[in-house]
Amino acid sequence: MSLRLWKAALAGLLAAVALPALAEDLQMWERSGGNAGMVDALVAAWNEKNPDRKINLTYIPHTDMVPKIAQAIASGEVPDLMGMDLIYGPQFEAAGQLVDITDKVKDWPELKTAVQGHMAVSTYEGRIYGVPLYADVSALFYNKDLFRKAGLDPEKPPTNLAEIREYADKITALGGDVKGYFLAGSCAGCNIFTVAPLMWAAGATVEPEAANGEPLDGDGVKEVLQWARDMVKAGNVHEDARAETGETFHLRFGSGKIGMMGTGNFNITLAKEQNPSMDFGIALLPGVTSGQVSSFAGGDIVTIPKGSKRVDDAVDFMKFLLSDETQVEVYAKMLNMTTRGDMTENKYFAAEPKVQQVAKAIAVAKTPYTLKFFELINSPQGPWLQMLQRAYYEDTDLDTIIADAKAQMKAIAAE
Amino acid sequence: MQSGKSRYVGLLYVAPALAFVLVFTLYPLAQMAWMSLHNWSLIADKKFIGFGNFVRAWNDPQFWTSLGFTLKYTLLITPILMIAGYLIALLTAENRPLRQFTRSVVFAPVVIGLGASSLLWYWLFSYDFGLINRALIDLGVIARPVVWFGADADISMWAVIASIVWKVVGFGTILFVAAIHAIPQDIGEAAMVDGASYWQRVRMIVLPLTARTILLVTLVSVIGSLLAFDQFYIMTAGQPRNLTATSVFLIYLNSFPYLKLGYGAALSLILAGIILVCTVLQMLLSRRSHA
Repeated sequence: MSLRLWKAALAGLLAAVALPALAEDLQMWERSGGNAGMVDALVAAWNEKNPDRKINLTYIPHTDMVPKIAQAIASGEVPDLMGMDLIYGPQFEAAGQLVDITDKVKDWPELKTAVQGHMAVSTYEGRIYGVPLYADVSALFYNKDLFRKAGLDPEKPPTNLAEIREYADKITALGGDVKGYFLAGSCAGCNIFTVAPLMWAAGATVEPEAANGEPLDGDGVKEVLQWARDMVKAGNVHEDARAETGETFHLRFGSGKIGMMGTGNFNITLAKEQNPSMDFGIALLPGVTSGQVSSFAGGDIVTIPKGSKRVDDAVDFMKFLLSDETQVEVYAKMLNMTTRGDMTENKYFAAEPKVQQVAKAIAVAKTPYTLKFFELINSPQGPWLQMLQRAYYEDTDLDTIIADAKAQMKAIAAE
Repeated sequence: MQSGKSRYVGLLYVAPALAFVLVFTLYPLAQMAWMSLHNWSLIADKKFIGFGNFVRAWNDPQFWTSLGFTLKYTLLITPILMIAGYLIALLTAENRPLRQFTRSVVFAPVVIGLGASSLLWYWLFSYDFGLINRALIDLGVIARPVVWFGADADISMWAVIASIVWKVVGFGTILFVAAIHAIPQDIGEAAMVDGASYWQRVRMIVLPLTARTILLVTLVSVIGSLLAFDQFYIMTAGQPRNLTATSVFLIYLNSFPYLKLGYGAALSLILAGIILVCTVLQMLLSRRSHA
């Protein structure tokens, strides 16, 4: 037999051995544009412990995720696990596209402390369809250096909106390019992450929870909008914040030119890299009066699309994600939020007080629950951002602005 | 008269092209029309609603805002592209090394992807880091940086127009240069002998003899502008307050993020109809002016 034939035979043999192994891998899709580093680490940790049922992870462009899943479901070629932006959870659950895992997971003790917001959007009509994959929470970041320069106590962050205004005035008065606060003018997502919690803390609702639910309900909506309008008019926000579409939102606090800003846990590492000498602190986002606090829990959930042939293995992966060991040795070790509230006290967070501080937000965090989150809230064309832009930059009566947004939200929810 | 057999042979010759048009143009168009009559989500069952999506578009204020903005953008950018492209073509038509080099420089941005060039200009117009603000301040044109995107719809549109003119003006220029080169030299020489000035020759000879190319470039420019998406998606994201959301941007939003494929299809059909009307009108006007 010639050498070429021997090589071909060997390649065939290898393929025959390798193919069944590949076939036993679980297939997982995850949207791109999320916390890829975290998901990679979670999958690597699972694969190390489960060499006989490894996960093969594929990233799908964020904007293609929905059509891609729809095609997969139509053709029957679905992945075994699907990580998705948690805001899409209710939509897929309501459409009957996900596997109901209630009976398999309802007795897990870990679920009792799993991030509430993630579990809320993983549940539809009392049935459970997913668990948290990773979490981002919002909090108030403040620049201690600027606090000192403005004569403020760096160990006493503001506890209500009036104090934020008072402190912001003093910081802006430092002059130069320094401003007291930051509000993203063209980014719906940034605002639901950092401004909606101010409203929630004040007892208001933002999104309609049901088709006939009342959106933007409560005095807190108007109070927060008035406060934000006053902040902008007083010059406490950089002029170019109006054009912030989210592209550079995460880089703003680290510039060292902003006194206080609502942002997320991801900004701890980022701000340190950007501005290593900057001293900063973290507090919970407050409401109108002291003692009111809230936060937005964002991130991804992991679900099982209908048609998966590896449901039990996929559920095991979910259990693995919520296990004590994964929570500490994967999530916390990477200084990411744990997805269980009872796991925030660990050696890694203890060594990094800022992470510990921001982790407190998990306990008060909320995630909007709606079947039309993007259209109502996250879209640059949606009523949420339109309302904020009118409130921040126009002089129209706030009641009118809120009424217009309410009408639009109700129309969308009722469709 | 052709025999039946030769007719079939002819059909056989055009069959591949016919099949291509059928599969890649007519079938998708029919499918889109069918979709436009449904409440069609990617993840839920579809429901027939007749012309409901078209009625909805009629009553949707954002549809009119987007359409109005798209038409305004088209009306403003098309003359700029035409006049600038033609003037550059006149200046660089002669085949001398420096002019050929200039043509190449003007044409170079055409080969860059629209997404990449939009991102490039997004950063050039950046409030903090952009070269445009820096240059204008250094030249004393402005005292403070300008917020180019997100604050004022007109300023945002002009910034996008600047980027698109840079990106595509070379395309028209090259076509105009080719058309000018196609004019027999003796016509121009005869006019010179008769004492015609440069601008008289341009007006009386070059312009009429390049009219077909002018029509072609106008059509391409108008259709391209009516279909504008990437540049606005990247540079303005529809801001401020959706005033710079073009028609295609609205179609994209409804079809994919909002999962309303049926409404997106209806909007697409309406836009296709508008483009068809614009194209036919332009061709008719052009024919009449040359009749």
